[in-house]
Amino acid sequence: MTRPVRRLAVRSIPAAMALALAASAAAAGEPRQGGIIRYGHYQEPPCLYTGWVQAGYIQRQYADNLVARDNDGNIVPWLATSWTVSNDNLTYTFRIKPDVKFTDGTVLDANAILYNFNRWLSDDPAKANRNAKLYVAEYIRQISAPDPLTLKIELSKPYQPLLTVLATYFFGILSPTALEKGQEAICEKPIGSGPFYVDEWKRGQYVVLKRNPDYNSAPATAKHQGPAHVDGIVWKFLKDNTLRYGSLQSGESDAIYDVPAVYWAEAQKNYTIIQDITGGTPTRLQLNTARPPFDDVRVRQAFAHVSDRRKAVEVATHGSIPYNGNGSLSQSSPEHVGALHDSYPYDPAAANRLLDEAGWSARDRNGVRQKDGKPLTVRLLYAGGSLLSADATLVLQILQDQARDVGFEVVLKPIPQADWFAGKGRTVDDYEAQPAYWVASSAEILKISWRPDEGGVINANNASRFQPPELWKLIETADRTFDDAERLKLYQDAQRLIVNNAAVVGLFPLTFTIAAQPKLRDVWISSPVSEPVFHDAWFEE
Amino acid sequence: MSESTGLVAGEPTRAGRVRVVLHRLLGAIFVIWATASITFGVQSLLPGDRAELMINAAAGTFTQPTAAELAAVNAKYGFDRPFWEQYLHYIGGVLQGDLGESYQSHRPVAELIAGQIAPTLALTLSALALAWAIAIAVTVFSGGRDGPVARAFGGFQVIKAVAPPYWIGTILLVVFSIHLRWVPVEGGGGLQGLILPSLALAIPLSGFIGQIIRAEFGRVLEQPFVTSARMRGMGNLAVRLRHVLRHAVLPGITLSGWALGSLFSGAAVIETVFARPGIGGLLVTGTATRDIPLVTGIIIASAAAYVIANLIVDLLYPIIDPRLKQS
Repeated sequence: MTRPVRRLAVRSIPAAMALALAASAAAAGEPRQGGIIRYGHYQEPPCLYTGWVQAGYIQRQYADNLVARDNDGNIVPWLATSWTVSNDNLTYTFRIKPDVKFTDGTVLDANAILYNFNRWLSDDPAKANRNAKLYVAEYIRQISAPDPLTLKIELSKPYQPLLTVLATYFFGILSPTALEKGQEAICEKPIGSGPFYVDEWKRGQYVVLKRNPDYNSAPATAKHQGPAHVDGIVWKFLKDNTLRYGSLQSGESDAIYDVPAVYWAEAQKNYTIIQDITGGTPTRLQLNTARPPFDDVRVRQAFAHVSDRRKAVEVATHGSIPYNGNGSLSQSSPEHVGALHDSYPYDPAAANRLLDEAGWSARDRNGVRQKDGKPLTVRLLYAGGSLLSADATLVLQILQDQARDVGFEVVLKPIPQADWFAGKGRTVDDYEAQPAYWVASSAEILKISWRPDEGGVINANNASRFQPPELWKLIETADRTFDDAERLKLYQDAQRLIVNNAAVVGLFPLTFTIAAQPKLRDVWISSPVSEPVFHDAWFEE
Repeated sequence: MSESTGLVAGEPTRAGRVRVVLHRLLGAIFVIWATASITFGVQSLLPGDRAELMINAAAGTFTQPTAAELAAVNAKYGFDRPFWEQYLHYIGGVLQGDLGESYQSHRPVAELIAGQIAPTLALTLSALALAWAIAIAVTVFSGGRDGPVARAFGGFQVIKAVAPPYWIGTILLVVFSIHLRWVPVEGGGGLQGLILPSLALAIPLSGFIGQIIRAEFGRVLEQPFVTSARMRGMGNLAVRLRHVLRHAVLPGITLSGWALGSLFSGAAVIETVFARPGIGGLLVTGTATRDIPLVTGIIIASAAAYVIANLIVDLLYPIIDPRLKQS
């Protein structure tokens, strides 16, 4: 029950540009060389090489990965020109592209890649790559470089999403020479083999990326091989929405990240809009199944029915972000079950009926339902900033308002981002609902979200605290199933189990949107987690 | 810090002056020590595990790290040691001018602050100067007058004083940069980029300063020496500028020491609105990840700026009001 998803869409082409397109098609001109792209981004990372996706967007410009993933989910060559998988699915052998160098002159061969793997999987917090470890550490038995152009990864148990995961930014390969210089140097000037290199970081303002003139390792997903067309990128940090969009309007930026919802309609007319719907987990409410009232599936289902979430998303984002009712997987993940978007339509009558059945039939004088003298209160805990945008907060407010009619008292509890990361106020008794998303390409995220607690370690990503053994069995089996049809069925059964139990209530996927001046051509956004690519970009004149 | 004007009381002997300066210096050291201790203490003792925060904030995850991962971070940063030991280690470093290393960017905090303090100082000082210019212009024109225009100006002062800089900044940006295109949207670090941000900070402050000197201005206008100046045939504007203003600005100057402190905090917001470099942006990033050495370092630097500003105010008094010298 999948439906084809156009993951990447050029949402609008201004009339002038459509003409230009026709003209250039007639001339069949080569992309023009030169120029510097002034790109206005949002968040400045404290360090240019961390696992955080905000640093990952820059990393995509200066680093290459072992393999790439196209938007249909196929794995294609990048630094590895080809690979074989043993019959038991336990040994992966990669042929590495010859004659590739990092921008500091260090040779990029199997040994350099091996160095990176050892570092990622290290127990030293100064070296470890947390995201990488979360995905693959439990499977890796041994990694070796039998010869300089061969890399061998041996697993202890089969893991089908391995290649998909290796295509993600946090597996970008960096120069061992540069990595040896220590954390401060890596943060300031990380060195990879990508189409650009980090030339300068003016803190609080921008990062200057310059063209790597010797670039010879573009992925098979690229529109061209060889060095970038432009001379460089000025990657600016423009956090204020009005300023960032204003800088596009005044021509001080050639492209910007994320059009503020209020300018969405206007931007469609004047600029090239490129939007990618990020895969993985959409922003969804995780309902705490470990304590009342959401330990009762009827109350959870009622909560899913109380609000017209589709309309709320449309209103709050001015139609700039689609609705994602299936809270278990983003609509751009190939495995997602589309029918689950409509599992819980806006239906106050159904919600009232379910709550009555569940024993929440009494009401206090404010109309809040009660059971055994306790009010039907939902503490909805969320962190702002880049974790939940202002538009998203508006969706929560609409939901709060509509839930009141049915007798839910929803208390919105914003907490500082630092507390969120510190795990403060997020223990099981602190909330009834928590919104969150996690970027990934596809169903490999299910393992991260739904792994049950084990040996005293609580899986904090499972804020729903929903962990029936049959769910984990479906996910774990899917992750080691290499038959495509069979795996798809397992992943989809897992989604149905999650959504039918209303462990999560879907809202909308994370999107990555770029608005560009029409003369800037061929910027694209790459799978797996919506990374902007400027390697193929060029200026039309 | 400007509760007393120090030099007023002291006898004009050299020893007396030295004592006053020493007293001031000790006060300054106390303020900075207290600021450092409170900031460090509050952040360290906030609930939530610091090692977990560091690991998760860097990777953008919120997974519970394993015991081994936490232990490694705790050992590296000394979080496993008793609080007082961590505190002494930190304060000991501060005494030697070492503000520690940022948890997230792994650079010495002193270096990070040094790299960002100049644009913030330029912004706050130009905002202060601009606020004074606006306040004086409005007061000299309207102070002590009771026509509808003067009353309108008085009301304008109040409105200015309560308008939040964020709101003013956004309006200035939309009107003058995006629509009129008089100044670039992204000012960067240049002089042109200083105009709108300092105006956004100066407008509310000029309201405060204006309100205070306006009241004093009206009082001084009724003093006998003003009347005698007028009788000598001095023009109205000259009287206002040369005699009245000099007295009227005194309370405003006291306020300026405090204002510089408040401008520092206002700068954090304005720097974000106008995408300016500066310690405000650094503070926002530091707070989001509870980067304790970075946040504490910035607070210490701001406290130092505040202390220095008040010291300057105290020293300025006798120059503006010669009576203080002779007492």
